[in-house]
Amino acid sequence: MLHSSIRLVATLAVGTILGAGLAHGPAMAEMTRSLNINGTTGIIDMPSGDAQNDAAFTFSVAHVGPMTRSTISFQFSERLSASFRFNTWREWNELFPLDDAKQFDRSIDLRYQILQESQYLPALTIGLIDLAGQGLTSSEYVAATKTFGDRLKVTAGLGWGRLGTQGSIGQPFGPRPPLSSDDYGIPHTDQWFRGDAAPFAGVEFKLNDRWTFKGEYSSDAYLLEDDERGLIDVRSPFNFGFEYQKGPNARYGIYSMYGSEVGLVFHLVLDPKNRATGGVMGAAPVAVDARPSRAADPEAYDGGWVTQPDAGPLLTKNLAKRLAVDGIAIEDFAYTATTVQVRIRNNRIDAGAQAIGRTARALSHVMPASVEVFEIVPVVNGVGVSKVTIRRSDLEELEFAADNAALLRDRVTFSDAGPVPGNALGDDGLYPKFRWSLKPALRMLEPLKGDIGGRLSASYDLAPGLVLSGSIYGRLLGNTDDATGPSSSVLPHVRSDGGLYATNGDLALERLTMAWFSRPGENLYGRVTVGYLERMHAGVSGELLWKPVESRLALGVELNYSKQRNTDGMFGFDEYDYDIVTGHLSAYYDFGDGYLGQLDVGRYLAGDVGATLSIDRVFVNGWRVGAFATITDVSAADFGEGGFDKGIRFSVPLNWALGNQSKNAFGATLRPSGGDGGARLDVDGRLYDSIREYHTGSFDPEWGRVWR
Amino acid sequence: MGPGVALKIFRRLTASALVLALLAGCGSEKQEGSPLGQAVGAVAKTAVGAIAARRAARSGTAPAAPAQVTRADLEAYDMPILRAVIAARGADAFVTITDQKGSVVTWSTTDGTTFTLRDGVLIQTRGLGPDLMSAKAPVVQQLLTNGGTHQRVYYFLGADDRSTTRTYDCTVAVVGSETIQVMGKSHATTHVTETCARAQGSITNEFWIEGKMIRKSRQLASGGAGFIDFERIVD
Repeated sequence: MLHSSIRLVATLAVGTILGAGLAHGPAMAEMTRSLNINGTTGIIDMPSGDAQNDAAFTFSVAHVGPMTRSTISFQFSERLSASFRFNTWREWNELFPLDDAKQFDRSIDLRYQILQESQYLPALTIGLIDLAGQGLTSSEYVAATKTFGDRLKVTAGLGWGRLGTQGSIGQPFGPRPPLSSDDYGIPHTDQWFRGDAAPFAGVEFKLNDRWTFKGEYSSDAYLLEDDERGLIDVRSPFNFGFEYQKGPNARYGIYSMYGSEVGLVFHLVLDPKNRATGGVMGAAPVAVDARPSRAADPEAYDGGWVTQPDAGPLLTKNLAKRLAVDGIAIEDFAYTATTVQVRIRNNRIDAGAQAIGRTARALSHVMPASVEVFEIVPVVNGVGVSKVTIRRSDLEELEFAADNAALLRDRVTFSDAGPVPGNALGDDGLYPKFRWSLKPALRMLEPLKGDIGGRLSASYDLAPGLVLSGSIYGRLLGNTDDATGPSSSVLPHVRSDGGLYATNGDLALERLTMAWFSRPGENLYGRVTVGYLERMHAGVSGELLWKPVESRLALGVELNYSKQRNTDGMFGFDEYDYDIVTGHLSAYYDFGDGYLGQLDVGRYLAGDVGATLSIDRVFVNGWRVGAFATITDVSAADFGEGGFDKGIRFSVPLNWALGNQSKNAFGATLRPSGGDGGARLDVDGRLYDSIREYHTGSFDPEWGRVWR
Repeated sequence: MGPGVALKIFRRLTASALVLALLAGCGSEKQEGSPLGQAVGAVAKTAVGAIAARRAARSGTAPAAPAQVTRADLEAYDMPILRAVIAARGADAFVTITDQKGSVVTWSTTDGTTFTLRDGVLIQTRGLGPDLMSAKAPVVQQLLTNGGTHQRVYYFLGADDRSTTRTYDCTVAVVGSETIQVMGKSHATTHVTETCARAQGSITNEFWIEGKMIRKSRQLASGGAGFIDFERIVD
């Protein structure tokens, strides 16, 4: 029951996505690039040489007898894809009554398409399954797939590891060394493509646009499940069954498997590149207000109005009214007879470029004709993060021009926000201000595992850049395994007692901090956060970031001192006597096309020293999918089951599904195993991600929305 | 259990939409939270609209026109009125002018969707989702030249939120004189087609031009929204 509740919430956003997707389901002409029960590109249980469409994000759940597999896969580029899988075996104690009734395993796959299908050549893919886990499902393969006509696909491949256990043809690359528990969590490089190899094959036949028949010869003998554990009875290597495609997003499969089991699978296929609604919804902007020509009305261009004492308050009031329609607030406002600078807080619009465009349009209505230069400064956490300078005459000239976005982009300048002008009038009722919210919250630890509860958040904006904030999380229900005691980690338990924190603090203070954001100099951003920084640690965290507005590169340094908090979620520190200084040097690089890289080198929470490398793919609409790995001087044995810290993370903006304008997102970080090595403070408001939205790396791909 | 549960959930779109609205939570920032709720409503409406449109298509009947409005009702407003019908959306609206700059007129629905036409030729839409952001389009004189050719360029903002450019080579064909009925009033027009081709396919816009004025037209808005039928009802 708890299980289903979690699933319900997890699939909620998705249900709506499908609903919206119904509105325009294009007929599928070419054959589906289908998925197997392992949630990766393939036939039924076997992989194929195909790849999913670039950026496809898929979620699969499969049941085969006493086995359940839930998988998230992401086609990271046209050729490379990664999967995160959660396997459950029920009746695990069938033959060994003293064992646990259930066995769980988390694993990561990688696959790379070496050859894309062409007229005469098949698609060829090389893949690693469970490449760094406990080895329960570890295998490697090479698979080739060729399409014949528009209905038939044939796959043949060779597998090692589990995929080499049925009908082996020998050991082409020598014997497969066994995996010791010390190897858990580390890539099993010395096992790859070693040991028995066995061929597998399959066909996919498209019956019509909705139904597909699939059949395969499996090279997996299910030795673990059949011979060792007696969970299933493999009678035949042949699997076959049917798949039903429902709309562009959902696919169902039912199969006869291994001569003794029925397999059921559900796939949800999402396309992060494209909005379900076909484009961002939301009302049209107001038209640009055209000034009379200078020749026709020279008096309108007289700058004498600046001397009127009530001009400032009046303009602010009119502008605020217009901007409020789009959820934009005025952080500051300054003007001369020819230039206006407005500093804005964008509360709602998900694309910075659109917020800039809407602000410029509003200024064209409010500012007297003599004001020719619009400087728009987006403000995040009270500090300006860039300055977009638009000439009003360009705005007027290009409003209805063909290709107006590119033309305007050429004429706009981006620069450092700079200090608040000396003649600024101040904010429009933003400081001091108390805000609060009570929202349901979902914490997902892995596919189909997590808890739901409520989060009460409050913040008090004292002055620009100075904010006191806190949140309390109350758990309502969940299916995370309740921990009975502290972890057995030999490192300081900076993360591994997460279960205790979850159980002992059903209602817990997550954060209570005072944060100060500043601009210490041109291209420099600063943050100091003091207090209960996160659920497990409290202390001081300081950060300095260098990031020119138009630069692909950013550099940062972070220094923290923290003490470990009690598990009960209250204010004390006596449960753990642990404090530490941690810090990192970070380099961020925007490779273009939405690929972001980050390298952090420094000291982690358990006192270990090392580096974290992360790669994220971000989409214009806000989708974000990434992977990270941390290697430190902690030995794999000391780290525990995972060997080293690694995982994938994703964030889905709700507006991608709904098409509306809002900044809410749904996301999670998934790790195959948790350990204490390579852990960092989970402090709010890290600088790079907060400012990137308003720098050219983010503005440029979405610039078309400036006229939206 | 997995697929079964999921299936049920997907069927319950309305229920999930409702829960999503709840997920928006509550707080001091009413203004920021509310669009989610509105969007849920919008999605529900879109879905219902789409279903109605599909049913209509299946049964062969056109989607119902807006409640029985007569020409007299519209003329009583004493302002220019354009009718915009988007077949792909099952949408039908009377729109009025919200901005005019020379020959460029922006027409708006009451819920904030706009159509911008230059002398009756569509150059921009806003609020459709997949929008026409700008266009290089012919002027009326070009459309009246039988056999005339011109380049047409569409700049769309599509599902990927990026600008997409489509360039077509177009040829004008004057079909002939036609007397058309626009909401009970007849107009003597010249029927013109503008066939635009590119390597990946072609599209045809149609115009019924009365003197120098486009009285009625069928013009492409975007790949996602399809064609829009415009009728200038009240001048």
